[in-house]
Amino acid sequence: MAGLTIEQRASLSEEEIDPAIMSKKPTAGPALHKVIMVGSGGVGKSALTLQFMYDEFVEDYEPTKADSYRKKVVLDGEEVQIDILDTAGQEDYAAIRDNYFRSGEGFLCVFSITDDESFQATQEFREQILRVKNDESIPFLLVGNKCDLSDKRKVPLSECQSRAQQWSVPYVETSAKTRENVDKVFFDLMREIRSRKTEDSKATSGRAKDRCKKRRLKCTLL
Amino acid sequence: MLSIGALANIKHTLQKELFLASGERLLSVVTVVKKKDKKPCYLCVVTTAPPVPVITLCLVKQSEQRDGEYKRKRSWQLDEIKWVDGRNEQFETHEFDLQLEKVYKWYALNLHERQNFLAVLNRQVQKSVRGQRAEFRNVPSAWLSEKSPEKVALGRAAQKAIQHTDDEEDEEEAQEFTALTDKEANELGKLFSECDFAIKDAEQFIEQLSRELHDLDGANIQSVLASEQKVLKMMEHIDNAISEADKFETRLDSYEDILGHVKETMEKIGGKNAMIEIANNNNIKLMKELNKVISQLDLPHSQQQALDEPDLKTTTGRKAAIAAAQCLQQAMNSDIDPALLRLEAVQDQRKRFEKWKQKFSATVSRFMNNLFIHLGNEIGDMPVTSTELTLPNHSNVHRELTPYTELMHWTKAMDRKTYDGLMRVYTASLSKIYERDVRNFFNLAKMQVSEKLRSSREDLDMSTSSRKSAVSTIPYGTLGINREQWGPGVESADRIRFDALLEKVLAELEPIALQEQLFCINFFQMDVISPTTKNTQTTLEMEKAVDMSQSVLAGAVSPSAEGVPQKRIDRQINEDVRKLMMGLFGCLEPELVSFIQSFERVDSFYSLYVLVRLTQHVMSAQDTHSFLSMTFASALVQVKRNFDRFMQQQLQSIREAKLHKRSKAILPYVENFENFAQTAEGIFRKSDRRTDMEKWYLQLVNAIFEGIHLHSQEHPKTPSQVVRMENYHHMYALLAQLKVPGLDALKKEAKTRYTEALKAYVTQYFGRPLEKLNQFFEGVQQKVAQGVKETEISYQMAFSKQELRKVISQYPAREVKKGLENLYKKVEKHLSEEENLLQVVWRAMQEEFIAQYNYLEERIQKCYAGAMINLEFNIQDILNFFSDIARSH
Repeated sequence: MAGLTIEQRASLSEEEIDPAIMSKKPTAGPALHKVIMVGSGGVGKSALTLQFMYDEFVEDYEPTKADSYRKKVVLDGEEVQIDILDTAGQEDYAAIRDNYFRSGEGFLCVFSITDDESFQATQEFREQILRVKNDESIPFLLVGNKCDLSDKRKVPLSECQSRAQQWSVPYVETSAKTRENVDKVFFDLMREIRSRKTEDSKATSGRAKDRCKKRRLKCTLL
Repeated sequence: MLSIGALANIKHTLQKELFLASGERLLSVVTVVKKKDKKPCYLCVVTTAPPVPVITLCLVKQSEQRDGEYKRKRSWQLDEIKWVDGRNEQFETHEFDLQLEKVYKWYALNLHERQNFLAVLNRQVQKSVRGQRAEFRNVPSAWLSEKSPEKVALGRAAQKAIQHTDDEEDEEEAQEFTALTDKEANELGKLFSECDFAIKDAEQFIEQLSRELHDLDGANIQSVLASEQKVLKMMEHIDNAISEADKFETRLDSYEDILGHVKETMEKIGGKNAMIEIANNNNIKLMKELNKVISQLDLPHSQQQALDEPDLKTTTGRKAAIAAAQCLQQAMNSDIDPALLRLEAVQDQRKRFEKWKQKFSATVSRFMNNLFIHLGNEIGDMPVTSTELTLPNHSNVHRELTPYTELMHWTKAMDRKTYDGLMRVYTASLSKIYERDVRNFFNLAKMQVSEKLRSSREDLDMSTSSRKSAVSTIPYGTLGINREQWGPGVESADRIRFDALLEKVLAELEPIALQEQLFCINFFQMDVISPTTKNTQTTLEMEKAVDMSQSVLAGAVSPSAEGVPQKRIDRQINEDVRKLMMGLFGCLEPELVSFIQSFERVDSFYSLYVLVRLTQHVMSAQDTHSFLSMTFASALVQVKRNFDRFMQQQLQSIREAKLHKRSKAILPYVENFENFAQTAEGIFRKSDRRTDMEKWYLQLVNAIFEGIHLHSQEHPKTPSQVVRMENYHHMYALLAQLKVPGLDALKKEAKTRYTEALKAYVTQYFGRPLEKLNQFFEGVQQKVAQGVKETEISYQMAFSKQELRKVISQYPAREVKKGLENLYKKVEKHLSEEENLLQVVWRAMQEEFIAQYNYLEERIQKCYAGAMINLEFNIQDILNFFSDIARSH
């Protein structure tokens, strides 16, 4: 049932949402999309972020605690702002993540295709995000990074794809080093976030009550 | 041994005794001894009497019966001798061999005999034997070659010479026989035939002969007597001849005298001739020189006329005038020897030239003067209708004037004063036009600036009608002032348009100025430096005429001429050209500057792109010393000064920035720097002027850092750590985006400062929700530091277990949760929405809180072990609190 709902929503967004109309509506400033980078330590979350932000690839590894970035981009002809929260791969207590997961509107769940453990860890991240956001269809991309190191590949493509399918999320392979698909993952995620927001605002201003929204409300009450 | 005398004796004896009877003559004899036979014998070379001498070699022996009787033992013909062997070439050798029908070995008793014998034998063999001659071996070659071997001996013994002479006479006698010539023989024969009876009757013959001889004697005496008279006669003749010769001699002497005279005369005549030739040559040279002078100084009548009444309006007249003027110039500057200048005719001619020159020069001056003024007025009267932003082109003026170029060149060379005057008139009349054009041009340009501005300003006003439109005096873009307080500014699109306008203006100016400059250089011949100090043409006192046509050509002359280096010549020319251009375009620079200033009023950022644009034009100019380049450069200097002033103002505004009550967390200059840097980068990204901007970047960013530090203390509502954290975070993001290489160090600095501020905020400002517990354990730590054992802390009054329990009881789980919630709210309030650091800070605070909890727990376990004391909440509670706080938003 849940799967059906997602598909329906997806079709809705594609047909009816005109970004130009909606961007002017809510506030004077450009729309703001909040993206959270999650994933195990050393998979390249910061590298992806820095590549996207400043077109640079930083070789030396320094574990991140948390960094916040903001950038103005043009998304399908519309100027928007993207807030990126780059997070720590290792936390002593997972609950610490709750708060920033909560603030995110979309997630890039990153693992390294050369590290099976990081791939397995995505499962936990996914579960925590769903729990915190309480939303099955939260904008979410499964990102297999370091695709330039295909000779060291440990996680078969099919496995990645089947997991993404299982979660009903897109799967994209990237390389922060070569910049392959770096813009794509951020923009794809922003598009998802945007379409979600459009949908939600329709729902709240609402003629038709969205079942999903209802369910979300219900869940929150619980 | 036989002496030589004995030898001579034996020879004589033999001749007398043996050979005389048979009419033979002994030529040479040698006394020899045969080996076997001790008795001496004689080997003789004998010749028969003439006329046919037959030479034989014979051996003579002394008869044994009777002393003094010799017998011929054997006789051989010379051709029978096969060879003669002397055995040894030494003189002292006695032996010698003869090969006849057999070999005879002889021993000569006397060496001289032997030598003589061998030599004579050899001579006779050589003389009389035909065919195969006997060979002489081991005989000294001197004996064989010398005619008389005795001569050798002669030197050795002078006293023996007499005997030798005998021998010699004998020999010569013998030779006389042989020397009887054929004629003599014939005559003898004839004589014999005439008296063939003689043979029968010798007496008669002798008688006849003596008779004949007597006759002959008589005849001879008679002829001698007869010849005496002849001799006398001859003597007479000779005397005559001598006197004749004397006469002849005197005559010759007189001839010689005459000849000497003639020679003298000839010499004199020759000298005269040479003189005449020299005089002639001199005359020819003089003639040539005079011809040269005359041809140089001669001015054909037609040209005189052309100079007197030049017709400068028509092409042909102009051509004639120019040709005549050039001839005049050539004549005046002709290279005449200084000495010749003293000639009155030359002086007169020069005076005449001077008159022509002055007259012609005056005519040209008048004509050109009128022409310049006329052209100036003509164009000046034409109304300016153009609304296009273009500078009118005056090539038609140039075209009209070009035919007179040579006249100008002539004037320059010949009459500097007139030339200078004409140049002034040209400048005056043309500068009026150019001034008008340039003014119009710039007015139009300025109008376009304000027009564009107005239109964009209207847009601006429409879109921001809600904003209070109070006219602000604060220039747009000032870093230190809030954006709302800025005066009106322009959009980057306007800026691009302004830049394009500026480019158009500059591009429009360049060809016009260049064209005019090119024309002037050509027309006024400014690429040639002519001697201005020495006026060479007419001064009579002048020592040396300098050919004007050879005056220094700037482009093509070595620095030889006046020893002026090429660079200085160039500089001089440039300066002259610039001066002229300055006169023509006097208003260009002020107009350009005022035009640029018109930007200043509109856009405070103008100096940035004007700087870049002007730099481009100045740098791309090929001739950096041309008037336009210099003008641009001086405008550029001003713009650079304005640019620096603008930056200085920005810097100042950061330093003087004031915070207002409602100031946001992000300081105005930090916020404004983004826009500023993006604008600047847009302008400077690809420019040569980048370094200028980067220098200012450094200063500005440093000033911003100082400002952040300073203003963080004064911020009304936000804690200083937060102000620092957020502003440095903002700066870091900005600098990372800018990617200015020069600012890398400052970018890292921003990051460090941001991290430090974050840490300071989390640890210091955190405010410790478990304040009392913290205080309690700080006391404990003090005690421990004083030396109290950790396990004995609980016995201290102030730090007893009861005391601890009391403090712990103040922090039940519920209170802790509330405290955390309050903290979260506070943090949320402190932090600004734009910087989006709440999650970062809260995450750090969670970590910090857990660390504090862990610390307290650890202290309790250490100091109060076994007391079963615990905080009233555990780690799981804390995590739950966190999750709850997360969920509540």
